[in-house]
Parts: sequence; C-alpha cells; structure tokens
Amino acid sequence: MEGEKIWVCEDSQEGIFTGIYDAWASGYKKEECVIQVGEIGNYRLFAQYFSVKTEEEKAWKVAKTILRRMGERAYRHICSAISSTDQEKGNAVFHTLILGFAMEDASKAMTYLSNPYVGKVFTLSRQVYNEVHHFMEFLRFRQLEIGILFAKIHPKNDILTHITPHFADRLPMEDFIIYDSVREKMAIHPKQKRWSIVQDKNFQIEKTKEESKDEEQIQELFRSFCKTIAVKERENKELQRQMLPLKFRDNMPEFEESKWISHYEEKSY
Amino acid sequence: MEYKVQEKMSIADKLRILGDGAKYDVACTSSGVSRQGDGIHMGNTVSGGLCHSFSADGRCISLLKILFTNECIYNCKYCFNRSSNDIPRTSFTPEEVCYLTMEFYKRNYIEGLFLSSGILYNPNYTMELIYETVYKLRKEYGFFGYIHLKAIPGADARIIERAGLLADRMSINLELPTSEGLRNLAPNKSRQTILKPMRMIQQGIKENKNEIMIYRHAPKFVPAGQSTQIIIGATPETDFQLVSVAESLYKKFELKRVFYSAFVNVNKDKDLPSTLGGPPLLREHRLYQADWLMRFYHFRAEELLSPKKPYFNMLLDPKCDWAVRHLDLFPIEINKADYEVLLRIPGVGVKSAMRICQARKMAPLSFEDLKKIGVVLKRALYFITCSGKMMYPTKIEEDYIIRNLLHEKERLPERKENYRQLSLFDEEKKEAIG
Repeated sequence: MEGEKIWVCEDSQEGIFTGIYDAWASGYKKEECVIQVGEIGNYRLFAQYFSVKTEEEKAWKVAKTILRRMGERAYRHICSAISSTDQEKGNAVFHTLILGFAMEDASKAMTYLSNPYVGKVFTLSRQVYNEVHHFMEFLRFRQLEIGILFAKIHPKNDILTHITPHFADRLPMEDFIIYDSVREKMAIHPKQKRWSIVQDKNFQIEKTKEESKDEEQIQELFRSFCKTIAVKERENKELQRQMLPLKFRDNMPEFEESKWISHYEEKSY
Repeated sequence: MEYKVQEKMSIADKLRILGDGAKYDVACTSSGVSRQGDGIHMGNTVSGGLCHSFSADGRCISLLKILFTNECIYNCKYCFNRSSNDIPRTSFTPEEVCYLTMEFYKRNYIEGLFLSSGILYNPNYTMELIYETVYKLRKEYGFFGYIHLKAIPGADARIIERAGLLADRMSINLELPTSEGLRNLAPNKSRQTILKPMRMIQQGIKENKNEIMIYRHAPKFVPAGQSTQIIIGATPETDFQLVSVAESLYKKFELKRVFYSAFVNVNKDKDLPSTLGGPPLLREHRLYQADWLMRFYHFRAEELLSPKKPYFNMLLDPKCDWAVRHLDLFPIEINKADYEVLLRIPGVGVKSAMRICQARKMAPLSFEDLKKIGVVLKRALYFITCSGKMMYPTKIEEDYIIRNLLHEKERLPERKENYRQLSLFDEEKKEAIG
C-alpha cells in the first residue's frame, strides 16, 4: 500500500519515543513514515493514521539506543528539541535517527547540519537551550513563610526538566519549587532528596503569597543594589532591554516598584 | 580585629555606599571555572558564567560587587574613593558581607561575590580583612559559588596566597597603562607595586597546577585565573598602545581577561580630561572587540593596528576593518579553508567555524546551511564562496564593501543623543594624526 504512514503520538518525550519505536517496528518503508505530535488536525488524503499509546518500556528502549549509538551529546540535543513547542519536532527527530543509525559512526549524525532533519533538530535544540540559559539567569526565588523557596516561570518551551538539575545541584539543602504557569506543572525539590515533576491543574498561586519575614527586606536590598551599580553617565536602557527582554521582568524583584520610602534621591531604574 | 565601623548605619545604607564605590570596576564576569555542587554546601559554578540581571546602563550584574570599605589612605585622582573626597565613609563587617551573599545567592540574584576594597590603614591590614571575610563565607557559611577578590597591591605575599586558595578569580587593576600615567594620577602606586603581585599570582597558579598533578585533592589556587582593568581615555595613550599592553599582559602574565573601562571624570579633577560628552564608550567597545580577536581569533596586536595607524576605525569593527584592508586574501572558500582561516572571515564566529569544519565533512555546505549554522551572512557574503560561487554577484573592492557593510547597521553602545559625536571629522582627524 502506497502513501504516508502517520503515527500520532502524545506531546512528551515518552510519547514521541514510543511513536518512533512503533514506526520503526512497523516494517513500512521508513521514508514514508511520519511522526506527528499532538492532535491529527487535517486528515491527509491517502495517508494512513496510527494512534500511538505511550509505553514507558518502548520509550526507554529508544532512549537507551540513542545514548548507546549516538552518544550523550546527541542525546541531549534530541531531548532539548523534544521540549520545543514546534510541531515538526517528532518527525525531525525520527528522521535524524534513521540517518544516524544508517551511518557507520552514528555519533557524527548531529554534525550533518546540511540535512534538513538534523538541521531542524539542531535549531530547535539551540532555541530550547537558549531559553534554559535565560531562565537559569533570570529565574527568581522568593522565600515563603514556611521556608520554601518558590519561583514562578512562564517559558515558551517545556524546560522544567532542563533547568531543575542546575538548581538542585546548586541548592541541595533547600526545599524549592519551580512552577511553570503555562503548563501548570512544577518541579519539587525537597532538601537533600531527588526532585520530581508534578502536574497540578488546580494549583492555587495565592497560597504562595505569605512570605518569610526577611523576604521583603532582601528584595529591597537587591533592588537598591541594582540601582546603585548602574553608572549614570553610561545609562542605556535600550541595551538593558536587549540584554534582558521585558518578558522576563515580571517575576524579578529588581524591576518591581520599591515598597519602601527612601530618604535618598531616587534615580529611575 | 579593629576597624572603623559606624555602628548605627543600616546594612541598606552600607550597601548603597559600598556598591556605589565599587561600580566603576567593570569586571563582573563569573566565568572560567566549572564546579559541581557537593550535595551539602550551597553553590556551584558554570564555566561560561551567568548574568543574573542588567542594570540601567546595560551592563551585566553577575556578582555582588561591593567594597569592603571605602576608607582609603591613597589619593588617586581618578578614583571616587580617594582620601581627599568628602564622602560618607563606612565598612561592612564580615558577617554582613556573608549574609548578603548567601541570601542573594539563594534567591538566584547573583553568581557570587566580588569583593574589592579601599586601603584601610595599610595594604596588609586590608588584605587580611578581605581574607577573613571570604574565609568566613567559605568555611562557616559553606558557600561554594563564585568569588572574585581584589589583591591589594603592596600586601604581603603570604596573605595573598591564603586568599587565593579561597577565591576563584583574583585581579589587580593596572588602571593606567603607562608608568607616567600612574606617576601623575596615582602618586601612591607604582607600576612595580602592581606588577609584583600580578607575577606572584601567576606563579601561584603555575605551582598549584603542579601540586594538583601530584596531590589530586590539593586546594585550587585561583582556578578561574586572574584579570585586570585598564581605564580608557584618562591618559593620552593610543589604541595601539593599549592593545599592545593587553597583548603583553596575556602573554607575559597569562591573564584570563583584561577589562577596559571608559573613563568617567567622577571627581571633576582638573588634571583629567572632562567627560561631559559622555565616557568614550565606542572606543571601549572597539577595544573589547579587538581583545576578543586577540584571545579567540589568533590575531596579533600589530595586525590590527600599527604606529602608523594607531586608532581603531570608529565606523567599522576591527575584524571587518582588517578584512577590507586585506582583500587580496578573499574570497575564502567555505568548504576548503582551514579553521584558522575561517576565523578571519567577518561574520564567522568561533562556534560557527567549528560547526563548518564538522558539517562539511558530511556534504558541501551552501549559503542556506551557513545561515543555520549561525554565520552572519550580511557581513560574511562579501568575503566567502560556497563551492566556488559567491552569494550574490559582488565586487571585491574596498569602497564598495565598506559602503555595503556600513549600510548594515552594527549595534553600537553609544546613546542616541551622543550619536552625533560619531562624526566623520573625528575619524579624519585621527587618521591625519597617524
């Protein structure tokens, strides 16, 4: 039978890897196989659709094979690309794998940037990496009354699993939560324990209003530090905006209005 | 230990005064060392560094950059904290510095601490205070993040060495690139007192590397290397002199970074040039670009400038400027040229050059591929061919290329109201002097 074979899978690493496993095992010509993420949308004429049921074991086998054949670097690129919001990502990863596994040295596959699929995975991975890097820099914790450090982020891509290891390594003795308000899920890190991701559609952000008694003072100290450190003669708000786009600023205390009345002359920050 | 502390001053006021005193030091990077957390202490470091915020001048805020004290026995004319200035003086206690660092770090405001200081009583006393503070921070508070310390010129080698075992980076500011400059503007300092500790740190780093080879767990001495800062525009050095000084610092002292700080006449001192038109930011920008070319692109100072052409072109960045002066070497074939040659192409960075070398092994690259790789084609297109073809029919002619490159606006650090100062006349005058 001719025509495209389309595997429709869940938008997650497990979902996409299961789809790849099924497509691979189906025995169809691999060039005709397409991995589609999320909803079907418009049905295409002559195409055959398969709905993929996510299975952890299959996903795990695919992950292990990628790691073994293509190495950790390539694996990281692929995982990053899968965290992207782009809908073509599943298919790009699938065809990158086909290419890689056909090569003598599969670890070189990610350098084949002139291949459209590899190029796509690389571009997506770079976009995700950039966002991860930005949130490693611009994420801010507030200390709640109960002692937990709490951060709220609203990333474009699904980056929680990429940023949490960084903070877990850095703050091993802290209880902290990073809340992704777009996907309504959070990374929870209990002191000296392993972190985990929890989906919570009913999370009440109001519960995080009560802050520790020093919180306001420390935010104020940092706000005043940021104001002081700027050299007036070099002021360049445009450059500041280029380096730190406005979209990041709503969770950053240094861009909030000061709650204290200062007896020193106020410079606009 | 006793030092002047105004007991009544709040930590907020101290932070304002001592942050203000430190802000003209430009080195705020947290890069150069990668250290994982140990599962108990707070902190790790990321080799590329992280910038946690940006202040209203567009500069990165990576470290809690403060002075321990702004008391100073010296009277350097360019310095805001000089002894003859009538400003409020104060000092932190080591506990206050530790408290601020820990609380800021925990909330992801900063990557660590940058501790500088005015000279209180004498260099040894001051260096001892700095040491005591970071000792407390590392050992009592268990802080494993980034620490950048100033080594105080004239302080005893043993104190500097002890401090170096706790810090990630140390720096001693050269401030003025020539000995005459120092003699005129910083009467209490001499080139010798600055270069001596610089040499000491360099040797410390070398010896420590050998020790670590023998004893794997020997404590690391200044693992992120040392840096320095040069003030631009306070004294009459040419750009060529400045890049030559920087080059020799990299070669002879193995510095990790040289920072350039556009001079601001904060004291309105009559012996110093006025900076009413704003600090020389574009000049500073060009020096940083040139510095980058020397450190990562294998350029030598005398390739970029010469005694005959002692100033940078204010209109073109140093790499484009070099390329249009060497058109005989272009166009370069992307699919064949060596890595070092690729690096010389305007619009090709270190990462993209590396990616080109890898990707072309699989298949010849096209202009479309270069775009994906991250090459800035609007700059590169005049200088390259892909499989023998140029991107558009272009003349390889100096005037034509310059005209087109200038058409593509470069992001410059000048404020809008200052933009007029970037006139052609300045440029011509400088050329004429040369």
